Amino acid sequence: MSAIQTDDLTKNFGSLCAVDGLTLEVNREIFGLLGPNGSGKTTTVLMLTTLLSQTKGSAGICGHDTVREPDRVRSCISYVPQDMAVDTNLTGRENVLIFARLYGVPNPKDRVDELLAVMGLSDRADDLAKTYSGGMRRRLELAEALVHEPEVIFLDEPTLGLDVGARKTIWDHIHALNRKGMTIFVTTHYMDEADQFCDRVGIIDHGKIAALGRPSELKARLMKDVITVVVDGDYSPIQIEGTLLIGRSGDEISFTAENGREALPVLADALSRAGNRVRAMSLREPSLDDVFLQSVGRQEEAQGFEEWRYRMMLRGRA
Amino acid sequence: MKGVLTYIHRDFVKWIRYRVGLVSALVLPAAWLLFVGLALPVQFTGNYLDFITPGILVMTILTTGISSGSLLMFDKILGYLNKFLAMPVPRESILVSKILFITVRGIIQTTIILIIAVLIGATILNPAQYGLTYLILFLFGVFISAFSTTVALYLDDHDSFAAFTAMVTMPLFFTSSALMPYDVMPGWLRAIARVNPLSFAIDAIREVGTGTIPVLSITMLALFAAVVVVISGHVFRKVTV
Repeated sequence: MSAIQTDDLTKNFGSLCAVDGLTLEVNREIFGLLGPNGSGKTTTVLMLTTLLSQTKGSAGICGHDTVREPDRVRSCISYVPQDMAVDTNLTGRENVLIFARLYGVPNPKDRVDELLAVMGLSDRADDLAKTYSGGMRRRLELAEALVHEPEVIFLDEPTLGLDVGARKTIWDHIHALNRKGMTIFVTTHYMDEADQFCDRVGIIDHGKIAALGRPSELKARLMKDVITVVVDGDYSPIQIEGTLLIGRSGDEISFTAENGREALPVLADALSRAGNRVRAMSLREPSLDDVFLQSVGRQEEAQGFEEWRYRMMLRGRA
Repeated sequence: MKGVLTYIHRDFVKWIRYRVGLVSALVLPAAWLLFVGLALPVQFTGNYLDFITPGILVMTILTTGISSGSLLMFDKILGYLNKFLAMPVPRESILVSKILFITVRGIIQTTIILIIAVLIGATILNPAQYGLTYLILFLFGVFISAFSTTVALYLDDHDSFAAFTAMVTMPLFFTSSALMPYDVMPGWLRAIARVNPLSFAIDAIREVGTGTIPVLSITMLALFAAVVVVISGHVFRKVTV
């Protein structure tokens, strides 16, 4: 029995297919779902957490069907959305206590103390959550999510908007939970974090899995080196043997080659001959960014501007 | 039930800590009571304060109830609702807790208004009469909070909801029997006031004040409340699945 298992999971919104026949198995690992905005990440998470019903296919969490046994599913999962929804006018302790009571945990007060200690929030537990930093709020949310010892945790963009140190701390906690046998399902925009911390990643685009595997495996599918070229003005495409175009992002065009040092002058020459004005070139090892670019193509700003989010940001809520 | 109580507790603590809101919700009805109840030179009734107090009590429930429909909307747009819905707690307990919390909060505020009214000269009623008054206020509170929660779920953004409450509150109050008896109203106003749900509650409390038990009005209010709660539950399920 897998922690998360989906079979042909599909969600249509009218004529738009948000998630298209997703078949996936995740088990006792840190799984990262990556994808551009609007690719179906959040829709997938909403279906797996029983917050949205699918159009077709099925999903099971710990052997329970998300549609037929939603309450069973809800008992063994936790869901932390990206909004950082903590009650800022309540103390950290009160925030977690609400969750302990809602889940009906025995000895809620002791459990809350224990979790606040695990998340390193004990000394600030009785301060109002509005005095907490972004990283502390996220840890508080993790404490809330852990009150009933779930088997699977869904984290939507857990490190969004946090500084480097806070991100590291959050990932350390995620790792610790995973070591205790918990399955962690994360969505993220940060490729470097996915590369570093996820056991496996799935890259989703237009509702379909475009790449799936260990970060190292996915990177190995590219050739040994990646050459990134910055051109001024329009790019006229070229074809050279031994190099492969990965994709284009802004004015940067990336190629992959088996021997980058030798491909570099050949590439520069070919680009100039095709009429491109090359401003800069660089050579490096492949990253998950390159895998992403190759599977998904250029990332566009798909999401509309949400005014209330902006206003909440101004008020210092998010 | 445990879920309902926990949700109510959460909203209650948040309310107590938000002191500006606590005071501001009382200023308007207290001002009406003092400036209109005491100062207005009216001829149609002996103790105008006794006449206007039921209207002000119902108004307190109306103003505090109608705007707090947005409590659920805020939980939704700020991301709390999704967290709660992903829990094994029965989902409807969120809706029930909001309706009860808003109603109970309104009742607490009307109690303060009631005390002010008595202090400035309103007639003191017997315990049974106060009991009935509270029953009427409770039913009206459930009606208003379920109504406003439903509208908030539909409108889904804070500004249009604020516009809605501003648009609804005062016209409802002025076209009710709060300020004057039916026989001194112009004909067109009387026609509106007769079907205004506020008048049902106000008239019922006035009847209680005269010593009768307004069975019909209470039944009607209970019926109104029940219908709106059912509609509210339906909208809630539609919005959350």
